[in-house]
Amino acid sequence: MIVSIAWRNVWRNKVRSLVVIAAIALGLWGGIFSYAFMQGMTGQQTYSSIHTETGHLQLNSPKFLLNYDLHVNVANADEVQKEIATMPGVLGVSSSIQLTSIASTAYASAGTMVTGVDTANFRTVSELDKYLVKGDFLGRGRSNQVLIGQQLAEKLHAGIHSRLVFTLQSYSGEITYSAFKVVGIYKLHNSEFNERMVFVRKSDLQKIIGFPAGSASAINVLLDNDEATAVTEAELKNKFPELQVQSWQELSPMLQLMSGTIDQMSFIFVFIILLALAFGIVNTMLMAVMDRTRELGVLLCIGMNRAKVFRMIVLETIFLSFTGAVVGLLLSIVTVSYFGTRGIDLSLIADGINALGFSSHVYPKLDFGFYPKFAAMVIIISLFSSFFPARRATRLNPAEAVRQE
Amino acid sequence: MTVIELDDIYKTYTESVVPVHAVNGVSVGIDKGEFTAIVGPSGCGKTTLLNMIGGLDAPTKGKIRIEGEDISRLSDKQLVDFRLHNIGFVFQAYNLIPVLTVRENIRFIMELEHRDSKEMQQRVEYLLEKLDMKDKLNVRPKYLSGGQQQRVAVARALASHPKFVLADEPTANLDSHATEVLLELMATMNKEEEMTFIFSTHDQRVMDKARRIITLEDGKVVGDAKTGI
Ligand SMILES: Nc1ncnc2c1ncn2[C@@H]1O[C@H](COP(=O)(O)OP(=O)(O)O)[C@@H](O)[C@H]1O
Ligand SMILES: [Mg+2]
Repeated sequence: MIVSIAWRNVWRNKVRSLVVIAAIALGLWGGIFSYAFMQGMTGQQTYSSIHTETGHLQLNSPKFLLNYDLHVNVANADEVQKEIATMPGVLGVSSSIQLTSIASTAYASAGTMVTGVDTANFRTVSELDKYLVKGDFLGRGRSNQVLIGQQLAEKLHAGIHSRLVFTLQSYSGEITYSAFKVVGIYKLHNSEFNERMVFVRKSDLQKIIGFPAGSASAINVLLDNDEATAVTEAELKNKFPELQVQSWQELSPMLQLMSGTIDQMSFIFVFIILLALAFGIVNTMLMAVMDRTRELGVLLCIGMNRAKVFRMIVLETIFLSFTGAVVGLLLSIVTVSYFGTRGIDLSLIADGINALGFSSHVYPKLDFGFYPKFAAMVIIISLFSSFFPARRATRLNPAEAVRQE
Repeated sequence: MTVIELDDIYKTYTESVVPVHAVNGVSVGIDKGEFTAIVGPSGCGKTTLLNMIGGLDAPTKGKIRIEGEDISRLSDKQLVDFRLHNIGFVFQAYNLIPVLTVRENIRFIMELEHRDSKEMQQRVEYLLEKLDMKDKLNVRPKYLSGGQQQRVAVARALASHPKFVLADEPTANLDSHATEVLLELMATMNKEEEMTFIFSTHDQRVMDKARRIITLEDGKVVGDAKTGI
C-alpha cells in the first residue's frame, strides 16, 4: 500500500516531477553518451593500432628494440613463423626486417623506419592496404617499390612514382644508397606513424643490405580475439624462451593508459553529474514534503508510524529518480547503438584528433554490463538524497501539522 | 462506566513570547458510548483538549486516563499504536489522502492494522451503504463535495472499530444540509456500534444533536449538561 501511495505521489505535481525526471534523464544520458563516445574512440584506436601497427604480439631478439641493430635478429625466423602459424587462435604471422634510414628527395630528407615485409604474410596481420589514399599496395612486378605515409609524402614533396633515395647501413656495416619508387601512399589516424613508417618488400631489402635469408628482425602475430592475448603471450614465452615476446599493450603503453584513465574519468564525471542532480532531487522532495505538511500530519495522527512515513518518502524519491534513470538509460541505449552503427563524423576538427592517433569517424560503444552499474549509481544517489526530506517528514509534530491550512 | 478521565488538566504553550494557557484545569469523565459535544467560542481550547485526549499532545500538568491507563506514560511509538488501535480521528477538513480512492481511504487504517482482506472488503461495503456513496467507490477525494469528503472521513475513522471517535469541528466547512447528513451518520454509528463519540463545535445545530454538552471558556469548563436526547 505504501508502495502504491508513494508511486501515485510522484505524479501529483506532474510538472515538478517531470522537470526532475528530465534533468536526471538528460544528465545520465550526457554522462553515458560521452563515456561511450570516448570508449568508442579508444576502442577504435586500439583496433587500428593492433590491426595496422603491432598485431597482438611481437617477437624479437631481446634488446633489438633498443637500437634496431640488424645483428640482433631472430636467426631461425622462418621456422618460428611456421610453428606459430599452427597454434590455435592465430590468424596471421608475418616476419619483417626493420632498420632506420634517411629517405631523401630533391626537396628534403627525413628519418624513417624501413620495414621489409613479405607481402602475402604481411596482409595476414595488417590491414594497412585498407588505408591507401593513393596508388597500390606493394606488388609483384618491378623491384624496389616503397609504400609511404601521407605525412612523409608531404614532407618530402613525394607522390606516386616519385623516387626516394634511402641511406641504408648494410649487414656488413657499409653505407649504401638505394633508390625506391613510391607505389602507394597510406594514411592511418596516427600521424606520427604516417611520417615515419615506410614499407618495402623483404626480398628487395635482403638483397640490398645482405640480410641473411630465413632470418628477421621481428615477427608479428595476429590473433582471432583480443582477450586471448595474455594466454598466447605466455605460450609463446614458454615456447621461445630465447626471444622477447611483447603484447600490444606493452608495445603501445599509451593505449592501455588512456583507456584506463578514460574509464575512471567517465565514472567520476557521471558521479559528479549525479551528485549535482542529487541537490535537485533533495530540493524537489523537500518541497513536496513541505507542501504536504498537513497531509503528513493527518497520516501521523491516524496511526501511520514514523518509520512508514520515512519509508514512503524514500520510496517516492527512488521512484522519481528511477523513472529518470530508466528514461536516461533507454535514451543512452538507443543513441549509443544508433551512432554506434552510423558513427559520428568529426572531420571538421579531425586534424587535431588524428595527431593524437584517433579516427575522425567515431563509433560510440558501451558494453551492456555498464548500464546496470550506472543504474546502481542512481539508486545510491537517490537513497542518499531521500534521507533529508524523509527525515524532515518524520520530524513533523502531528498536532501542529494538522492545524496548518 | 467511565472510559476517559481527565484529572485537572492544564496545557500551556510556551513557544510564543507570551505563554498561552490554552487549557486551565479541566476535570471531566466520559462514559462508554457517549455522544458528547465540546462547545465554546474559537480559541477556548477545544482542539487542544481533543488533541490531548487523542494522545497527539501531552498536558503540561494533570493526568489523562483512558480505560484506566495513564497515556502520558506511553512512549512516542506506543502512542502511535495507541491511536491506531483505539481512536478514530476526524478533522475539520482535508482529512483524506488525495491519491487514494474512496474505497482505499476507508480501508487505510485497517490496512495499517493488517486486517484480514475479506473482513476489510465487507466492512467497506457496509460503510459505503451507510454513506449512500456506492457509486463513488473508485473516485478520488478531489471529485467529491465537502460533505461527501467528511462522510468518507467518518467512515475511515470508524472502519477499524476504534473505541473512541474524536471529531474536531467536523461540520465547520459544511452547509446545513451536509451538516445534517453527517450528524445523522455519526449518531447512527454511535448507536449501532456503541462507540464513544466526542466532537467539538460552535455550531448550534450540531449542539442540538448531542446528548451531552461540555462548554469551555478560556480553557475552563463552565457548563456540563445532559440534553436528554
Ligand atoms: N502551538 C501553539 N502555540 C501557541 N499557542 C497556541 C498553539 N496552539 C493553540 N494555541 C492557542 O491556544 C488557544 C486554544 O486554541 P485551540 O485549542 O485551537 O482553540 P479552539 O480549537 O477552541 O479554537 C488559542 O488561544 C490558540 O491561539
Ligand atoms: Mg479548533
